[in-house]
Amino acid sequence: MKPVYVAGAAVHPFGKQPGLNAAELGYRAVRQLVEQTGITPDAVDVGYGGSSYGGSLLTQRVLQRVGVSGPPVYTVENACASGASAVHLGWQAVASGAADCVIAFGAENLSSFGGGTLPLTTNDIEIEQGMVMPAAYAMRAQRYLHDFGATADDLTAVSVKNRRNGAQNPRAHFQREISPQDVADSRAIADPLRLLHCCPNSDGAAAVLLCSEDFARQLDTPRVRVRGSVVRSGTFHTQFRDMTWPDITARTAKAAYEMAGLAPADLDLVELHDAFSIAELLHAEALGIAERGKAHQAVRNGEFDRDGRVAVSPSGGLISRGHPVGATGATQICEAYWQLTGQAGPLQVPGASVALTHVTGGGIFGVDNGACAMHILTAD
Amino acid sequence: MPSPQSPPAGDRQVGADITHQHGTRTTLTITVCHACSARWFPPREVCSTCASDDVENIESEPQGVVYASTVVRVAPPGFQAPFVLAYIDISGVRVLAHSPSSDQALTPDTPVRLTVAPIARTAEGQLVSYAVEPLDGRDDTTTPTTGETR
Repeated sequence: MKPVYVAGAAVHPFGKQPGLNAAELGYRAVRQLVEQTGITPDAVDVGYGGSSYGGSLLTQRVLQRVGVSGPPVYTVENACASGASAVHLGWQAVASGAADCVIAFGAENLSSFGGGTLPLTTNDIEIEQGMVMPAAYAMRAQRYLHDFGATADDLTAVSVKNRRNGAQNPRAHFQREISPQDVADSRAIADPLRLLHCCPNSDGAAAVLLCSEDFARQLDTPRVRVRGSVVRSGTFHTQFRDMTWPDITARTAKAAYEMAGLAPADLDLVELHDAFSIAELLHAEALGIAERGKAHQAVRNGEFDRDGRVAVSPSGGLISRGHPVGATGATQICEAYWQLTGQAGPLQVPGASVALTHVTGGGIFGVDNGACAMHILTAD
Repeated sequence: MPSPQSPPAGDRQVGADITHQHGTRTTLTITVCHACSARWFPPREVCSTCASDDVENIESEPQGVVYASTVVRVAPPGFQAPFVLAYIDISGVRVLAHSPSSDQALTPDTPVRLTVAPIARTAEGQLVSYAVEPLDGRDDTTTPTTGETR
């Protein structure tokens, strides 16, 4: 495989933007990316756009506005992992030698659905029972607290940390710190989860430039190396399942670490899929950055703080940054790019040289999640 | 298997064709694969682990045990909050069901029995489904337990 680089990153800030559809949001991120990297439209060999609700031919509708029309482009749907799946396919194209320059982006508008829980559109036996994503994570939380002696306060500590991190992120949906009391006072959503244990439904977009070594040399932008890029689907069964151990994350991580030749102890930062605060505890353990049943202690001890043992979601995570489903995976890679090139400003993790990004999602019955995508990036 | 009972006019029953009522005893149809021993709910024509069609539908036990539970306080369209949901381990499969007689989350490992009960109101009547209720302490039947996880 050929080495693959990220040589540019752009985010259209996340938040409530009901007037901007997914194509408009995607265009704004891609236009910034083109301006910052100085690439010409004819240099783009292939484009991938990730979105769950953005509609048919989203990638054409975005890329043709910046002059990329004619080459192959694809719209990728993999629920919350859509944007990172688009990046993964771009990585494949460059690693295989089929492409030298790829634009990969994620874009989503969720305001069009109004408030409340995200609609689950894939009707199945659990959705017929009134299943919603907060309920699925609430039951994982109940079982984790039951099995490992953690408390609802431990869930709250994750929200407080990630909101503190995101308070300094100009791209975040929520840029205000919260206290444990704020969480306790927020509305109950699905016991034991309260509103401030949940990420917001957001609108936004993010884009990255993936390229070969030769192409990266022609650019004036800093670059980072993609050491691992892995996508996995959920293992489908309806037998008993340990819902405190997200097997899909563990399998994806194992493959990503092997590809990168790196281990959990090598990571300086992780951008993790904290759709709900319990998710940070479950996935941190499956990623191997905390011992089984002890991630809540790691959060309590400050080990996941920006200046801790391994910074977890220094950009604020989904809880602060927001979750425009298909854009989340792409924006994590942008945040990691800025960290590894020393451009993260107030979010900077001191001396960051190895980053992992993790998204997993999809509410269908019989799996942990429908899809998980992971990237390991290193400073060049 | 006895034929499923029909709900009253205006009501709609989720899973009517895979729910069986024998007096107060309620069971579900599950599929057992003879090629790989995987078990499935809802039932399947082909095993989704090994793709064998050497599968058989059987009736579950009438009782199971709670794996995890929550009170949903923000309802999706068509449902009325709050309502209690629980994952139930029963006869080798995990089933998501309402616990309509409960007003708080069921503690893991609580024994429950299957029932058929309304789980939501609709414009035409009630949405009825297989559901669960906690067993009272006087029940002398054997309490099932959660087995090995996959």
